[in-house]
Amino acid sequence: METRRGLIKKTIGGAALLAVAGSVPIALRKTKLREAPRGLKFFTAAEYSIWAAMAERVVAHDPTPATEDDATHTGFMKRPPAPAAAQVDVAGKADAFLEPLPESDRKDLKQLLALFDNALFSVLGGGPAKPFTQMNAVEQDAHLRSWQTSRLAIKRTGFQAMKRLSCAIYYGSPETFASVGYPGPPYELVKSVLRK
Amino acid sequence: MIHDGSDKDLLLKPDVCIVGSGAGGSMVASRLANAGAKVVVLEEGGHHTKDEFDMQEPRAYQRLYQDRGNRATADLSIAVLQGRSVGGGTVVNWTTSYRTPDDVLEFWRTKQGSVLTPELLKPHFEEVEQRLGIQKVDYEDTNPNNRKIYDGCKKLGWQVDTTRRNVRGCLRTGYCGMGCPIDAKQSAALTYLPDAVQKGAEVYAHCRVDKIETDGKRAVAAVGAVLDHGEPTGRTIRVEPKVLVLAGGALNSPALLLRSGIDQGPVGKKTWLHPTIAVGAFYEEPIEGFYGAPQSVASHHFAHRPEGAGFFLEAAPVHPMLASIAAPAFGAGLSARMSRLPNLCATIALMIDGFGDGEEGGTVSLRKDLGPKLDYPFTSRAHECFRSAMKAIARLHLANGALEVQTFHNDPVHIKSEGDLAEIDRRPLGPNLFAAFTAHQMGGCRMGADPSSSVVDPQLKHHHFENLFVIDGSVFPTGLGVNPMESIYGVSSWASEHVKAALS
Repeated sequence: METRRGLIKKTIGGAALLAVAGSVPIALRKTKLREAPRGLKFFTAAEYSIWAAMAERVVAHDPTPATEDDATHTGFMKRPPAPAAAQVDVAGKADAFLEPLPESDRKDLKQLLALFDNALFSVLGGGPAKPFTQMNAVEQDAHLRSWQTSRLAIKRTGFQAMKRLSCAIYYGSPETFASVGYPGPPYELVKSVLRK
Repeated sequence: MIHDGSDKDLLLKPDVCIVGSGAGGSMVASRLANAGAKVVVLEEGGHHTKDEFDMQEPRAYQRLYQDRGNRATADLSIAVLQGRSVGGGTVVNWTTSYRTPDDVLEFWRTKQGSVLTPELLKPHFEEVEQRLGIQKVDYEDTNPNNRKIYDGCKKLGWQVDTTRRNVRGCLRTGYCGMGCPIDAKQSAALTYLPDAVQKGAEVYAHCRVDKIETDGKRAVAAVGAVLDHGEPTGRTIRVEPKVLVLAGGALNSPALLLRSGIDQGPVGKKTWLHPTIAVGAFYEEPIEGFYGAPQSVASHHFAHRPEGAGFFLEAAPVHPMLASIAAPAFGAGLSARMSRLPNLCATIALMIDGFGDGEEGGTVSLRKDLGPKLDYPFTSRAHECFRSAMKAIARLHLANGALEVQTFHNDPVHIKSEGDLAEIDRRPLGPNLFAAFTAHQMGGCRMGADPSSSVVDPQLKHHHFENLFVIDGSVFPTGLGVNPMESIYGVSSWASEHVKAALS
């Protein structure tokens, strides 16, 4: 199936938009770079920074119980705090996951990230005139929300592509299990049977 | 023998070459090898065993599923769970086993000229049930995630029952979807494939078929590549069989035909997915839906609805990775939902597609790199079904006394009483505005008497190529209304007789 394939071309016509966006000064505002690890296989340093910033908000958590039910019934307050996306290295693991993609997919995903962090595209969507990576947390959440609920099906597709992989990496990591009350696989039970 | 790829180019000339090793391919391999035929099975996935099934979601999905767990429709609106390893989907399915419903077979006979009847398939299903240890689950062996469905339906007077599962010595760990760590699940990799190998069949893992060569009347060869970690090694495969059987499953089998220029008939059309929506219910008591048999209860109360498409209700396992991907929310909304994971009951509704007048379902075509591309536009019929299903699931959990029920819309509907249900009708249902999935892929190479509306004939032989068969879920003319694994085994067992006849 099309995982990331044809994502941008099929949806936003990314190359054309980027060409237009690149000719406008506001669009040239730069990605706020993070310290990227050496040896990235898929991302550039800028793309790594965009993914890291996006993932940070996708898996952001509120340290207080969401509802009275949480606090009263689920042991929510007794759990260790959820780690941040960076502590689980979501962007680094995404880099490794995306590396084997076919060239056409790689190109599309890179265009998606460029659009996502494009200041002009943000303005056209009603957001602030800055790249996503330079927004504050409230602005970033609004930006993500605008992609998630956009009337343009393509932006919703792009949002899901980024969100699903970030969630898979973060919540699939054992470091996050305790924070959601998941004890992990029953290894001892399995071992006890295999020993027999 | 099961070969882990090949360190040299392969040129093989067996009696039968089978592309794919899931329920369909393994069954045909077993039956034909047992009849004395020289059988070769080509499987693009790897050969994985219980020692590798460590119950960790990231490794399991990358290793055992198509597109490393990321398969989806072209617009990502439907996540596609589809197996990819020696044993195919049977290695990762949730063990729910049903015979094909009588009314579905009747529909196929009436509308498509199928010859399948309950009586014809009965001995095949009986053998499958015996070989796979298929037995009905006791209520006491269900986990709370399933039991809530049972209890809620009973309270509302709805049809409900425990399911039948293909397991022996099951510990009910809850990790069926990641490969059974103790070999309790009787997958094809533990049953029909070893049966075939014992009779001399050769199974080649990591071998992808890219194209079928034909001479206008016959399939001459299956050609492809030996893979390593999904990438071509440079070594080639060429198999020249007397009979070629495609068993790559819905999506892959039609894509292989299209890649090969074998596009006579509606190849890839009318692909059925049992499009699935989920609803979450939060309970005061722990549910721990990550443990216990993932599916052990089902309700078919709404399978036949005069208002539109029918649906059936089942449970989905609640492991953190899958749950987080399914939840459309992000940030604080997502973390709030995830923080209540142990108390979350996940119930799914599967739309029974393929029975509406003019219903087209999905379409498989080719991507630029010639892999399968799936489109499945939602219709008003689907929207009506999804909304009705969401309300039904909410009602059964409210009847159980759930604290709150939440839909899987981008902007979830929070339901605490019957009065909240109307909000479901106001939520938009466009692509990626709510979560949708499929674990049941069918159709695309539908069987039928009329070559203009089917790809294979009622005996599952291709209409235009005398030694080419398609024997997998892609031949089903509609969705089934039940989980498809046992139907694929049973129909494949029956169809194996026609492959034998073609050899003689």
